[in-house]
Amino acid sequence: MTVTRPTSVAEVSADLARPGVRPRAGGTDLMACLETGVLTPGPLVDLLGVPGLDEVVWEADGSARVGAMTTVATLGADPTLVTAYPALAATARALATPQIRGTATLGGNLLQRNRCAYLRNPAFDCFQTGGDSCPAREGDHLRGVVVDQGPCVAPHPSTLAVALLAYEASVRLEGGPVPERAIVDLYEGTDPTREHTLGPGTLLTAVSLPVPYPGERFAHRRAAGRSRAEWPLVEVVVRLECADRGRGPVERAAVAVGAVARTPLRLPEVESALVDVAPGGNLPDRVEEALTALADRCSPLPATGYKVPLLQGTVRDAIERALEVPSR
Amino acid sequence: MDTTVNGAPTPTPDEPEVNAAEHLRGTLGLTGTKIACGSGVCGACTILVDGSPTASCLLPSAHLAGRSVTTVEGLGGDHPVQRAFAAHDGLQCGYCTPGFVVEASVFVDAWRTEHGDTAPDRDTIADALAGHLCRCGAYEGIFSAVAAACAGEFDTDPVEAPPRADAPAKVTGRARFTGDHAPPGTWTGVIVRSTVPHARVLKVHPAPDDGGGRAPLVDLLGEDRTVRHVGRAIAAVAAPTRAEARRLAAAVRVELEPLPSVTTVDAAREPGAPLVYPTKAERAAALGYGEAPGPRAPWKDNVRGPGVVSWRGPTAVSRLRAARLREDPLLVAEEYTTATQVHTPLEPHVSVASWEGGHLHLHVSTQALSKMVDKVTERWDLPRERVHVVTEYVGGGFGAKGALSPDTVAAVELSRLVDAPVRVSLERSEELVDAGHRPGNRTRVALLAGSEGDLRALAVDSVGDGGVSVGSNVATLAALMYGRSPRRVRDFDVVTNRPPGEPMRGPGGPPMAWALEQAVDTMALRLGEDPLSLRRRWDGNPKRRALYERVAQLPLWRDRPRGERTGRFRRGVGLAAAGWPYLLGPQARVELTVRGGELVVRSSTQDIGTGIRTVLGDVVAERLGIGADGLTVEIGHGSSVHGTGSFGSRTTTSMGPAAADAADRLRDALREHSPDVPASGPIPEHTFKEALSRVEGLSVVGERGLDRWGRLTPNMAGDLAVGRGMSGAVHVMEVEVDTLLGRVRPTRCWAGIAAGRLYNERMARNQCEGAVVQGVGYALFEERRDDPSTGVVLSNDLEEYRIPGMGDVPETEVYFHQEGFEHVPGGGIGLGEVSVVGVAAALGNAVFDATGVRHRDLPLRPDRLIGATR
Repeated sequence: MTVTRPTSVAEVSADLARPGVRPRAGGTDLMACLETGVLTPGPLVDLLGVPGLDEVVWEADGSARVGAMTTVATLGADPTLVTAYPALAATARALATPQIRGTATLGGNLLQRNRCAYLRNPAFDCFQTGGDSCPAREGDHLRGVVVDQGPCVAPHPSTLAVALLAYEASVRLEGGPVPERAIVDLYEGTDPTREHTLGPGTLLTAVSLPVPYPGERFAHRRAAGRSRAEWPLVEVVVRLECADRGRGPVERAAVAVGAVARTPLRLPEVESALVDVAPGGNLPDRVEEALTALADRCSPLPATGYKVPLLQGTVRDAIERALEVPSR
Repeated sequence: MDTTVNGAPTPTPDEPEVNAAEHLRGTLGLTGTKIACGSGVCGACTILVDGSPTASCLLPSAHLAGRSVTTVEGLGGDHPVQRAFAAHDGLQCGYCTPGFVVEASVFVDAWRTEHGDTAPDRDTIADALAGHLCRCGAYEGIFSAVAAACAGEFDTDPVEAPPRADAPAKVTGRARFTGDHAPPGTWTGVIVRSTVPHARVLKVHPAPDDGGGRAPLVDLLGEDRTVRHVGRAIAAVAAPTRAEARRLAAAVRVELEPLPSVTTVDAAREPGAPLVYPTKAERAAALGYGEAPGPRAPWKDNVRGPGVVSWRGPTAVSRLRAARLREDPLLVAEEYTTATQVHTPLEPHVSVASWEGGHLHLHVSTQALSKMVDKVTERWDLPRERVHVVTEYVGGGFGAKGALSPDTVAAVELSRLVDAPVRVSLERSEELVDAGHRPGNRTRVALLAGSEGDLRALAVDSVGDGGVSVGSNVATLAALMYGRSPRRVRDFDVVTNRPPGEPMRGPGGPPMAWALEQAVDTMALRLGEDPLSLRRRWDGNPKRRALYERVAQLPLWRDRPRGERTGRFRRGVGLAAAGWPYLLGPQARVELTVRGGELVVRSSTQDIGTGIRTVLGDVVAERLGIGADGLTVEIGHGSSVHGTGSFGSRTTTSMGPAAADAADRLRDALREHSPDVPASGPIPEHTFKEALSRVEGLSVVGERGLDRWGRLTPNMAGDLAVGRGMSGAVHVMEVEVDTLLGRVRPTRCWAGIAAGRLYNERMARNQCEGAVVQGVGYALFEERRDDPSTGVVLSNDLEEYRIPGMGDVPETEVYFHQEGFEHVPGGGIGLGEVSVVGVAAALGNAVFDATGVRHRDLPLRPDRLIGATR
């Protein structure tokens, strides 16, 4: 196993152009994958310390371009980022553990491997490891998807992607056919062999966020058995642009959910129902109806039917918090 | 570029396959940093990198270049948080402690800078320490330690010594556990395991080595060449580095003849199912997971049993049948299930062996050192004086570390083969698969009450799911509860091609209580009676009766919410009763020697976190009336006199009296040479020193004397006897159920424990608090998950096998009823097991109280709760 340590993005691209070379960011998932045999040892390109990759650049319009090597901890703690993108910050603070957040990076989080126990067990082959089936679909898939895009049933693991989807962010790329791609296009649910749409040799260099919306209302909620440090069964990011710097009714809503499908998902039916809802009051019937109708979106596996009410409940919880409405 | 480690520059390694934790431990010898999960979940390997807590097991060592690293050794031992952990006893076995301490040091410093010397609340502390797991469950002590350090209470050394004598060694990383003993040149051994559930092994082909020969390999199967589960140890290989050993292991080719297999209980019970043990001889040799030999039981195909315990059994059965026919409303007949719980000590099974001039030196993590010496001596046919077994610190065991396990066999054999020290340390993926577990159970309980509300009949049928092993005793334990009404209980085992169990803390107890105590609460509801009042009527056990009286006065119980609860968050309170037999080790011995004018306390016992090292010193010091700092305690060396194994809640009640006896004998011996030593009472310090100086080299051995009225059983196999009287426990649990997200949050717990007099209140409390943590894990999260078609264990890391963290446990108060064991020397018996039995059951009853839904299956996962409560 060889490791190269390039000193510029151009050098990284050159290294990545060689076949079989993998980039290593914080290494929190890659090291575990090598340890457990999910990945076989091979040449690595170390991104740590490459100039420019961990910078936050503020554009003239007030939007930010956050370098891919920015740590999750920085996303949750950097005062300007926290002020500009509070939903992203809250989400970053809720994932994994303090130690992992201090090392894991934005880019690594977006492109990590999924958490399926079959994928991570060397006893099994699956679509992701050169096999031609999904052993979880026939086997134990309690934590699997509830929106079945097939054939793989492992939910997308990235928590930050859920928040970035709610921000309609995009990723900056080097070494690929296009220089930029919307977050929504970074993932594709029907390809069971991989977690994202980037081709080999493509480097994710940064995430472009929109111009901050002053006084946005937001919530990040996750459902899990344990209170902390657990991969969620469902997670939700709600971002509401409300009139009058957050005091007035919703003008525009973004609701994104994770851990329910092979990709993070937006819920446009819930978003449109939220428009014109005022903070502090009860949720109108149309929001209740949209929550109920979430069941129609779901296509549970034999063991994931519980995720239907859990999705409805977690979305409700996030909306209630973002709008400061009383819990029902 | 160099790395600054604890203030000193050191070269940064350029080895891609070595992570930072391995580098710090292996190259720099900083073994305070522990590796426990290998996946960044447990926090035992936490170090500071440029002041930021980091999981060093996931950190490429090259990422240390140019950075400043602080390990637990670099904290120096006088950080306020280290003092606080020691003083508040925020630890038991100590294996996770360095990681906790390193992270907490940063949190405490930052908190005080921002908030001054104030104590943060529990949630804030739980957030800060969310990346740490303590399997002993010392969380109550950790909460109070961190809060006290934040409040500025430990800026100077406290006047009082910590309750646990080895706490200073554990909070500084000085305590050296088995895997920390790796002299230069130590090789790594790796076990080759079965990848199929059932097969006959025909031949094992070693990996080719670089020179065209065969890489070193030892066989672990022995005479029985059949593998009966995925993960069964077949052979082991060794190499100078871990990476190379892993490559060699992967290159070993196992030639085998597959046999038909069964990997679920249902499949194993089908007519014509493949047999795990086709012959009588194989069945007779089936592994057992009972703590003591179980009753004989018949076999039919893959089913063993029933093992029956009956007291007017035919009466019980006919009453229950009649009640069912007449649809008696006071018949409660329900089925309850529990999941497989895995011991999960944070220190895995680990052995380091080396041979020198025909002597075997073995460091091994074991709960039963004296037995280990016997087994090693026998297995390798060595004279005792050539066997040197050491187990100075044990990073938790909970029952899993009692046998001569494959890591030990592999290390000893490989070391002899390669003529170098060899360390074999299980990966977490091995520890969670083939290092023992508490089997899952399916248990039917039938209770019948008479019109007066009396218990008329009790029947329990329980089926244990112990993989290839047998020995379920769940039903048997139920026979010991609730008086003498007619009863029949039957235990069965169904064998499958899945890994074997081992005894786990209170074997059979938690599943028994889960089933029985739900049924008793259901009966209380049928009778329209308060659950406490029903137990007070049915339960004649005097110790629990004393605890029930306390519960009746307890605000947690008395002021609990009544009536139907509504809304998203619903609070409920439940209770459960438990008991445990009083076991002891009659062969317990403690030796006192005078060495260099000092008194040394020695025995071949071991401290797995219960605190026996401290107890031995305290008992001797108290008995002689000298200060505890006037003596040295040396346990964990197999050359000492026989010490009790840490099993069956018997260590302290066996070793404590032996230590007292040794102290009495020492006093007598001192008085022969120094008549001014008083015949009783405290010995003045100068008199004691003077007396010791006259008897250099003196050695006396104390024994565990008999109880008044003797024991119930003779000394059985394995240094085990049953004493008179049972310990008792009553747990009261409060929960808050989030009906929207299907989550149970245990908020408060009262643990009433009756096990006689305590030797060390704080350490006893710590153990009972930890039992609540493990019981909460059993109730809510813990569950080994297997692939149904292959039997492969899927929950093979600490992400998939979920043990409770700081934020998942209730605020716990422990109450001790200290009477009732006056017939026992020392007045107290063990409490490690009785304290865990009823926790999950109390939690289940609390969830019912909160939601009105009776759950029958553990764990109470969100998917089970969400459908049932909204």
